[in-house]
Amino acid sequence: MTKILYSDDLTTCFSTWRKEGIMTFGPVQEAGNSGFREVQDEKELDMNLILTSRTLKELFFPRTEPMLSYSIGKQQIETSEFLPSEKPCIIFGARPCDAAGMAMDDELFNWDYRDEYWFRRRSRSVIMTIACSTSDDFCMCTSLGLGPDSAKGSDVLLRPLASGKGWLVEELTEKGDKALQSIASLLKEGTEEAAPTAEVPVLFDLEACTTWLADPENFESHFWKEISERCIGCGTCTYLCPTCHCFDIQDEGDTYEGIRRKNWDSCSFQLFTMHTSGHNPRNTQSARWRQRIMHKFNYFSLKFSVNSCTGCGRCTRECPVDMGVRETLQAISTLQK
Amino acid sequence: MTDTIIPAQNNIYRPAVMKIAATRNEAPGVQTLRLEFQDPADQEKFAAVYRTGMFGLYGIYGEGESTFCVASPETRKDYIECTFRQSGRVTTALASAEEGDLITFRGPYGNRFPIEEFYGKNLLFIAGGIALPPTRSVIWSCLDQRDKFGKITIVYGARTVADLVYKQELDEWAERGDVELVLTVDPGGESPDWKHRVGFVPTVLEEAAPAPGNCIAVLCGPPIMIKFTLASLKKLGFEEANVYTTLENRMKCGVGKCGRCNVGSVYVCKEGPVFTAEEVSAMPAADL
Repeated sequence: MTKILYSDDLTTCFSTWRKEGIMTFGPVQEAGNSGFREVQDEKELDMNLILTSRTLKELFFPRTEPMLSYSIGKQQIETSEFLPSEKPCIIFGARPCDAAGMAMDDELFNWDYRDEYWFRRRSRSVIMTIACSTSDDFCMCTSLGLGPDSAKGSDVLLRPLASGKGWLVEELTEKGDKALQSIASLLKEGTEEAAPTAEVPVLFDLEACTTWLADPENFESHFWKEISERCIGCGTCTYLCPTCHCFDIQDEGDTYEGIRRKNWDSCSFQLFTMHTSGHNPRNTQSARWRQRIMHKFNYFSLKFSVNSCTGCGRCTRECPVDMGVRETLQAISTLQK
Repeated sequence: MTDTIIPAQNNIYRPAVMKIAATRNEAPGVQTLRLEFQDPADQEKFAAVYRTGMFGLYGIYGEGESTFCVASPETRKDYIECTFRQSGRVTTALASAEEGDLITFRGPYGNRFPIEEFYGKNLLFIAGGIALPPTRSVIWSCLDQRDKFGKITIVYGARTVADLVYKQELDEWAERGDVELVLTVDPGGESPDWKHRVGFVPTVLEEAAPAPGNCIAVLCGPPIMIKFTLASLKKLGFEEANVYTTLENRMKCGVGKCGRCNVGSVYVCKEGPVFTAEEVSAMPAADL
């Protein structure tokens, strides 16, 4: 016997959570674009999306966020902090690839120094992930050692019923368990079967790729120029990546008062690494694409024993010049053989 | 999302406030600030953590933060000295700040020079131009416990006589008798009363020919000078493992999160800025 949450009960489910003061989030369509935002009830959700065009990371690491506000007096500097509230949140309907990305970035944001902005949002949030029963041509979770029903980074995993009328419910963490307790009366026992998970083909040999990337000889290979010559450095792949975490810090205001912000940045941009002297360690677009691939599949894994890619496929799906991690790793996978 | 303002104990992005206790013009466009923490708790934290080689992010709200080394040694932790060239937005604002003004500081971050490992050894310091500040932090850390080291040699060069920084301290080092100081300026940079060497640092170093045996070299300077000086040190018989240098890359966070200062897999902010020449050689040269 397993627990089942029926779609018909979702309205009550959301209203129960909200009555308890829990903020509810989920995938929504907005102006031809989709992403996660706060919803008042389940009717606002778009449950038919294979994957939102924007990622879950925006709920933990917003595109721009005020970190500090300052005001400067004659003999004093006053700083106050904008820290995220600890009000509990439930994110309903994340996908396994996005949820996994959050767990990967936990490592980075806790690397010796803890980023409170990230972790306050992480610790107040319960991620309820829905396993995928469909995929598209760009999905590549299985190539990255994950899958359409991976549990990594999720607090609750929901498996769609074969009947399409709801989900089998698996609690994965204490936080997830707590979120389910408040809707315990809505969870029915049953023997219904889950729909088969999506069949996502393996597109490249990840181990061959990481072996090739780890060889210092290949750092200056012509491959990098060839594979990225058409990159226009727009940064779309980094902004739509669940694990890309690079940011800039900028002040908005004058030297009397204002706000210090943390803004998304991108390794695709020339200014990202430019020294004041004019010297730029990564002065070409190919050096910058190499950085992105090396960071994900070599540097990050050297530090945190996991590659910083979940195979969501957005970098390929949304690239204006049809590049992306998929093409690069497929090509490397062939080179290594 | 309804976020509210809550004070945090350990916000890594919140800077400390420091007062400018003194300013000194070093060379055209180059200035030193002596800074004192306003909050005794910040001073205490700094003194507990700071070791020579670490860096900080110096800032002026409204302009931003800029990364450079702490130029004062770990043997003198009641204040911070930093030396910078006025070149960008933040350094321009810092340069126009006056004694008594307040600025911000985050840090100290990064690794350090393993000075205890230098005990009993001869030391060779080589610096070019504005890179004397990081070297000077090590120099004073050693001179403040002079009896722990063997022979100390300092080779310092700048483009012109006017570009030499810490002129007062150069005189002090020349006069103390337990330091061999070799000063040089690039050809054409000498003044009529210049009594020291004329020539590029690598050449002058090769002529001074310090013995590599039981000797640690600390080398800081612009990339081109580092490149040629490393070749000279090799010629003189120095092993890369005994040569220390610092790397400086663009940084925003200083604590390994913002993603830009890495050379290959090495994060300069977390694993540096102090590296041996051997460690630098192992990094991908195309990423430097």
